[in-house]
Amino acid sequence: MSLDDLLRHPALWRAREQGGASAPAGLPTGYPELDRCLPGGGWPSRGLIELLADRTGIGELSLLMPALARLCGPADDAPATAGRGPRGVEHGGDGWLAWISPPHTPYAPALAAGGIDVGRVLVVQAASAEWAMEQALRSGACSAVLGWAGCRDRQSLRRLQLAAEQSGCFAVLFRRLSDARESSPAVLRLALEGGCDGLVLRILKSRGGRATSLRLGTIGAVVPHAH
Amino acid sequence: MVRLLPPRVTPGVPASSPPESPPAHEQRRLQSASGGGRRRDAGDPVPALPAARELWLAVHLPGYVLESLRAGVAASPQSVEPLPSGQCGAESRVGAPTVVVDLAKGGRVVCDVDARAAAAGIAPGMALNSALALEPALEVLSRDPRRERALLEAVARLAGGFTPRVSLEPPDAILLEVRGSLRLFGGARRLCERLRGELRSHGVESRLALTPTPLASLWFARAGAEVALRRPDALPARLAPLPLSCTRWPGHVLQSLLTMGVRTVGECLRLPRDGFVRRFEPRLRLELDRASGRAPDPRLAFVAAGRHVATLELEPELEDTARLQRVLGPLIDELCGFLQARGAAVESHELRLRHRETPATRLRLRFAGPVSEATRILDLLRERLARTALSGPVRSLRLRSGPLVEATAAAGDLFGGEHRRTAAVPQLVERLRARLGAGAVHGLSLVPEHRPEAAQGEEKGDVSLFPSSVRMLRGKSTEKGKRPLFLSPARPRDDARARG
Repeated sequence: MSLDDLLRHPALWRAREQGGASAPAGLPTGYPELDRCLPGGGWPSRGLIELLADRTGIGELSLLMPALARLCGPADDAPATAGRGPRGVEHGGDGWLAWISPPHTPYAPALAAGGIDVGRVLVVQAASAEWAMEQALRSGACSAVLGWAGCRDRQSLRRLQLAAEQSGCFAVLFRRLSDARESSPAVLRLALEGGCDGLVLRILKSRGGRATSLRLGTIGAVVPHAH
Repeated sequence: MVRLLPPRVTPGVPASSPPESPPAHEQRRLQSASGGGRRRDAGDPVPALPAARELWLAVHLPGYVLESLRAGVAASPQSVEPLPSGQCGAESRVGAPTVVVDLAKGGRVVCDVDARAAAAGIAPGMALNSALALEPALEVLSRDPRRERALLEAVARLAGGFTPRVSLEPPDAILLEVRGSLRLFGGARRLCERLRGELRSHGVESRLALTPTPLASLWFARAGAEVALRRPDALPARLAPLPLSCTRWPGHVLQSLLTMGVRTVGECLRLPRDGFVRRFEPRLRLELDRASGRAPDPRLAFVAAGRHVATLELEPELEDTARLQRVLGPLIDELCGFLQARGAAVESHELRLRHRETPATRLRLRFAGPVSEATRILDLLRERLARTALSGPVRSLRLRSGPLVEATAAAGDLFGGEHRRTAAVPQLVERLRARLGAGAVHGLSLVPEHRPEAAQGEEKGDVSLFPSSVRMLRGKSTEKGKRPLFLSPARPRDDARARG
């Protein structure tokens, strides 16, 4: 058992964390308006995040970019206080970014410009995307996993949520808007819709927060077609 | 008379230099006082006894002929060690009295017997007909020199786990230089017990002897005297009572020596030096010098084969992939022992399953990086086997490793944090590729190119070789306007025009 595991053990009480330790700090999203609406002031540090969107290219990836840059950025660009939050995601460091069955190829120069180390990106084209996502989450090799999976049944959703919870990875699952009607064990559910003046977010479910809706100004450009 | 005590040699500590030579008039008397004093002529130089810089362990296999046959291995020069006796091949019925004959020598003469046959009164050298008369239910096997060589090499490979310096002494012994390994294994006794136990678990009986010179260890082991000597100056005295048969000198030499009344090694050592050389071959005198430590004895190191091949005959034939997976476990363990001894890793592996009528099934594994851990190879093999449909019952299987590459072991962190992650990436990639296909998983790379569709490349292959984009980013100012994160495939032109 390493020292880090020991510090994270729930039976260990640390005297310095006296106030407000009940809600673990989240990973800052990079958008202050969103930070204010989310419990913990950012993306949840553990658990599955569901983003429901019908169309691609409305800004759903740009929404995640600041957090991904922090997790999977080049190691020497990590902030000086790189380390872990009390129970949280690692900042900087060695983690990989896994894309499981993305609808289009991720564009490497954009990822690099966004601050992600392209040499630590893994793209997986899988027919069984849920299995691949679970493997990536459980392996402990990735610090962020983005998956596009149908997830027709609750069982696979539960397994993904458990894997994300246990591994502490930043796990994002993209589904369709029609799946908003079904319940899901994910920790955070956001519905995204593209509007003419920006992205419209609806927080459907969050632990400790309220269902709200907010609009973020144009965060991403529209996907151009390669001629 | 000045008596100089010889320096004590403690294991693991290089012995101090031998004491400075005493004055000449004392020399002769000292020599005669020490053990094994031999009468020397005047003017004969006194070779100094070297300090014990090496400790050689000889492993003699007394029953190697029978043990090499008593297994379910195919007769290939790079075979795996024989299985424990519980899994005997069909060739020898377990428990039946067995003898081995040498067909190459013409007339059927017994050359080796097992315990039950010996109990019935059969001895090596007896004619086969007499043996059959004594024991009608005898099982007769014929000698196979290739298998004997394979057994010797397998034992040498096993010994490679104890020390890097192993040398073969065909047909029935190997030599290990163990001075550097004594501390790791907790002493000579524990090392010997472990080695003996491992050999026994593979069905091989052994006799061990440890002395500062290889030849002396060999002679002691052959004679069955399991000694452990550390001091080289005590060697001539201990060698003295050994019978000359353990030297395996030519028959006429031993006969002449017998008629001269010389029966033991000690008496041989006492014979006058130049007379001995004149009478017999100089190499015999050299051997005596080497055994007592007065002459150096360099040995050729045993280098295991460049690839590891393990074969297993299955009796009865297996159809169930689950049982096959279980059988593979010990073979993979042996592969990893082999890799560890060489400090190497493999990048690919092939499993060939032979069936009776249908052509053989081949499974090729490719790893995402050099691998030397047993669990990873086994996981991957199991995954592939689970997906393979066997065309028939499997008669034998052959595991052949790819070319060996140098293993890079990552230095461990004191608290074991980050390195677990980097080590887990190749494993994840392998597992995904094993299930989804080799082309399903790839990385990205940047290409310096102004066309957006050509500005990135796909990296398939070794995960550790994916190029990092850190150097390319450095110095680049932030571009005006953000680039899109998805690259969608090209659409036909009229569609784009219609959209405006």
